[in-house]
Amino acid sequence: MSAVPTSASTSNFLSDITNSSVIVKLNNGFEYHGVLSSIDGFMNIVLENSIEMVGSKEIRKYNELFVRGNNVMYIASQ
Amino acid sequence: MVDEKSVSASEPLDLIRLCLDEQIFVKLRGNREMTGKLHAYDSHCNIVLGDATETIYYLESGSEDVKSRKEKSELVFVRGDSVMSIADASNIGKTNA
Repeated sequence: MSAVPTSASTSNFLSDITNSSVIVKLNNGFEYHGVLSSIDGFMNIVLENSIEMVGSKEIRKYNELFVRGNNVMYIASQ
Repeated sequence: MVDEKSVSASEPLDLIRLCLDEQIFVKLRGNREMTGKLHAYDSHCNIVLGDATETIYYLESGSEDVKSRKEKSELVFVRGDSVMSIADASNIGKTNA
């Protein structure tokens, strides 16, 4: 079953993956592994229990983290 | 249409609202970080921080090591477009996972 790339299906994807484990990559190379707890139309994101990575190096951990949407390159569900 | 998810799921900016009058940690563009007490914010992520400490990371020529310097300000307005991420400063390094 192939998903039709409409705007409805992209926002369905985002609502489907809330509360699941994701990887968020930013334009500047930072990557966050955590649980997506909320997301809005600007792609502002809140992650729970996230780990900040650069390459394969772990930088920091955050209980809760807000990421401003303009920095987001992609959100991958795991 | 009201489904369960949209009721339980809050907006991302709600997390920032919960940080009002708390110490927050902000990652900024240009290898900068800032900590301070959050006095105000808006939907652009413009923020006003009190007793802020900015940490600037840089490389000195001829050295591989990352150095840092700190700059303090009593009250600072940070324009939203340079904000990358915001977290409660007291919760950094802690996860429940």
